[in-house]
Amino acid sequence: MIDPFIYFLLFLKASLFSTGGFSNLPSLHQDLIASGWAKEADFGHSIAIGQISPGPNGLWVISLGYLTYGLPGALLALIAITLPALLVLVVSAGYARIEHQSWVQGAMRGVSLAVVGLLLAVVWTILHQPGVDWKGTLIAGGAFGLALSRKVNILIILGLAGLAGYLLYR
Amino acid sequence: MKLQDPRPGKWQLFRIWAAIGLQSFGGGASTTFLIQRAFIEKHKWLSIEEFSYLWNLCILTPGINLVALTVLIGKKLGGTWGIAISLAGMLLPSATITCLLAAIFIQIENIAAVQAIFRGVIPATGGILLVVGLNFALPLIRKGYKEGFFFLIVSGVLTIACALAVIFLKLSVIIVILGAAFLGTLFFSSRSAPPLHEEEQGEPQ
Repeated sequence: MIDPFIYFLLFLKASLFSTGGFSNLPSLHQDLIASGWAKEADFGHSIAIGQISPGPNGLWVISLGYLTYGLPGALLALIAITLPALLVLVVSAGYARIEHQSWVQGAMRGVSLAVVGLLLAVVWTILHQPGVDWKGTLIAGGAFGLALSRKVNILIILGLAGLAGYLLYR
Repeated sequence: MKLQDPRPGKWQLFRIWAAIGLQSFGGGASTTFLIQRAFIEKHKWLSIEEFSYLWNLCILTPGINLVALTVLIGKKLGGTWGIAISLAGMLLPSATITCLLAAIFIQIENIAAVQAIFRGVIPATGGILLVVGLNFALPLIRKGYKEGFFFLIVSGVLTIACALAVIFLKLSVIIVILGAAFLGTLFFSSRSAPPLHEEEQGEPQ
């Protein structure tokens, strides 16, 4: 039997101690498996749904909530990922006090460069998933070109990629 | 940075965020791309420098960066109401669809055609994400270019080192960011450009 309050706290904890959409996964995995509230397969399913559903990557947690606890689970998950984001207002206020120091400028520039590097790492990870072969790399290149042109709607790009996948791998 | 469009109304803001939330299939890559396109390129409510500034704050905040970004852009464009409207627009429609898909997914996950489509869509999200990274990188490359070859090289090496540290050394993201902040302090502090914060900067692009 799922205790809604504990269930919510587990999601909130995972969200508070994470950065980015998927880094709450290990914490949730550990806690929900240990409590018996989720099956191993629920995680794989949730992440797959997160890939095809609209919205930020982090919304995969909502499908995890839905698969493990139905609509209440999805709602609790939604609240749990929204609350920590409001902390950005605190971060923003604190940062405004120190931003004129020259070391802060330098540090933030380092962070900006790291962000680019981390994005590259995610691209690398995506392109090295099982199931992505040289044809997949070509699809990635095509999507890169179309997105770079700024003339093609993102849904059309992904639709074309889905069509290519259907034709190539069916 | 001068704003070229008037501030959005509440309904307009909701619609823009809902459109971003609903159109951003394939995860964070396309979401960031769409936010950049809507708020910087289409409506010119933000500059890319401001966007990067806000994004850095989101990186320092726990949880999903894109939701934090929604909070910050919402606040900038509409205060407290802007935050509530932006969050509702970004999250509610897409969360609803995520639930629906979760229900449907169980039924169709084993169909071969569905799996084939996924094999096409997943690498495409990688390509789109690369454009997002490029958008982030351009102002930094320009800055380094202006300061000279050395700073361009330092910027490039630091960026690649961060990527490699995550891919091959499996370092945690937080450690990489803190390390980059430290190295940034060492290399860039003396060269610091004026703050990116728009209130302090009256000059046009």
